[in-house]
Amino acid sequence: MVGYTIRRILALIPLLLAVVTVTFFLMHAVQGGPFDSDRPLNEATRARLEEKYNLDGTLGEQYVHYMRNLANADLGVSFSNDRPVRAIIADRFPVSLHLGLYAFAFAITFGLVLGIVAALHQNGRWDYVTVFLSTVGAALPPFILAPFLVWTFALKLDWFNVLSSDYGPISVTDWSWIWHDMTHLQQMVLPTVALGFLPAAFIARVTRASMLEVLRQDYIRTARSKGLDHFQVVMRHAIRNALIPVLTIAGPIFAGLITGSFIIERAFSIPGLGRSFIESVINRDYGVIMGTTVFFAVIISVMNLLVDLAYAIVDPRIRL
Amino acid sequence: MSTIAQPFDFTQQQVHTKQRGLWSQAFLRLRQNRLAVISGAVLGFILLLSVLAEAVPAVRRYDYDENNYSVIDQKPSTDHFLGTDNLGRDMWSRLLQGTLFSLKIGFLAEAVVVALGITFGMLAALGGKKTDQVVVWITDMAYAFPDLLMIILFRQVLFGRAWPIIGTGDPQLPGFSGVLIATVLAISFVSWVTVCRLVRGQILSLKQSDYVMAARSIGASQWRIVRVHMLPNTLSTVIVAVTFGIPTRIFAEAALGFIGLSVPAPFASLGTLVNDGYAKIYTNNLLVIWPCIMIAVLMLCFTFLGDGLRDALDPRTRK
Repeated sequence: MVGYTIRRILALIPLLLAVVTVTFFLMHAVQGGPFDSDRPLNEATRARLEEKYNLDGTLGEQYVHYMRNLANADLGVSFSNDRPVRAIIADRFPVSLHLGLYAFAFAITFGLVLGIVAALHQNGRWDYVTVFLSTVGAALPPFILAPFLVWTFALKLDWFNVLSSDYGPISVTDWSWIWHDMTHLQQMVLPTVALGFLPAAFIARVTRASMLEVLRQDYIRTARSKGLDHFQVVMRHAIRNALIPVLTIAGPIFAGLITGSFIIERAFSIPGLGRSFIESVINRDYGVIMGTTVFFAVIISVMNLLVDLAYAIVDPRIRL
Repeated sequence: MSTIAQPFDFTQQQVHTKQRGLWSQAFLRLRQNRLAVISGAVLGFILLLSVLAEAVPAVRRYDYDENNYSVIDQKPSTDHFLGTDNLGRDMWSRLLQGTLFSLKIGFLAEAVVVALGITFGMLAALGGKKTDQVVVWITDMAYAFPDLLMIILFRQVLFGRAWPIIGTGDPQLPGFSGVLIATVLAISFVSWVTVCRLVRGQILSLKQSDYVMAARSIGASQWRIVRVHMLPNTLSTVIVAVTFGIPTRIFAEAALGFIGLSVPAPFASLGTLVNDGYAKIYTNNLLVIWPCIMIAVLMLCFTFLGDGLRDALDPRTRK
């Protein structure tokens, strides 16, 4: 297991290098440069800017330069406001992260409870509710759910205020945002539901299928025949085994929620990292594009690794 | 007189059932699934309606970019079935134009995805160990990228370039504008790896199956084995993947549209319609409701049809 983990971590290095390289050349292939705008700059200014941001060399030289900086954990600066990309990520990512965490908590709770209840009462009322919700949920991506939720709950019922949001003091080291969110719940509920509904539906469906499968196993019948009460059988024998497939999908879902929240960030005007990525792509702000992609790629790869390891811990039949 | 046991006479005693092939059986089973049939019919209707709207002015009634400032933000009426937007453009016509655009993206991108996926999947499974390693490594790398971010980046790379396929001018292929092709390529470059993995896994398992071994042992050529035994057995997996793939591509395009990176105005796609409508949600909520309903209906229909196809094509799940 330790050997496997080390091998997987080592395999991440060439993978991430490839991600950096591909992104670098793709990004430079976008038409126009960071200093192209409707009114062309004069030549001297342009040359000075390009010299300042090390854009004056050939593409190869720029690549070597970027990689050398990256080796020193220097992600460069944003061309639009000269801020270090690391500071931008440190500022913006916690916003995306806590939105992702809430959505994940929502999806897991909602999905597990519905899935388990549905499987325990197969073809019952709750089962139909779950099947219905998980089917409809698959047809309602965030950008459709967001307008619907805003219109119903913010405009018609006036339960939540989505116009004025305050995301408070945000920093990586300062965890007071948890308290801040608790006191500003009204701005978190709708984005959380909009982002978490699709994965919740997915988790509910997987949990239901997996529970039904487990409940049919011989060891469940054995446990029942030995006189264990229903609750014990479900809690100790069924759920534990039924959760293994859910665990497999939970990792990618979590990574997806953290890195893919920019639609919701746009819909609810949340100043997260996804939004700054979109702005940077449109402005060809090379440093921010690279920084965000590399950062997200690291998160996704590490999540995948963690899921594989967790899988081996939960299911003793798997030997790594 | 001793009677010798006669061999069972199959020609005489045969139970008469009509012989059916795989596809005909699958079609029969699909037809029994009422939800799938209805979904297929609804999809066909929407497709037909949107194609007709482009071809026949009487169906679209107004042009999608026709402004009429005397009828802005109208409620649905017999003049404007779905009302008008803030520039007095007819929503019925814009919705159908956007639907056609999104459907084109869905089908075309999925076609490219499947073509790339099957090619590389087969290459990996049949091309020897080295090739396999390279392809698997590429798919692993693709999984490390955040999907939508890569689609956005690819889209920016491809957008606004001249695509000299045949001559010059914008719609290089009739009905497929440059931005459509750029979006399709951006989506499919990111999405083909899933199909590739699927095909590779399927073919690797088929390679070990008895009938492929048998075919090889009687001297069938590699190409014949692939063509006659492997591809048809991979096809049902791929068809199901396609039905679930098309709505995923439409999602991707709609997400691009929602962040303002799809077709430029005044063209419409379902994503840009949601985006435009969402900005006006406080004044005229119908603008966002129509495209949302359309996307939801498309998604549901493709899901039901995909479920039906999966049940129909997989003989093991027969009831």
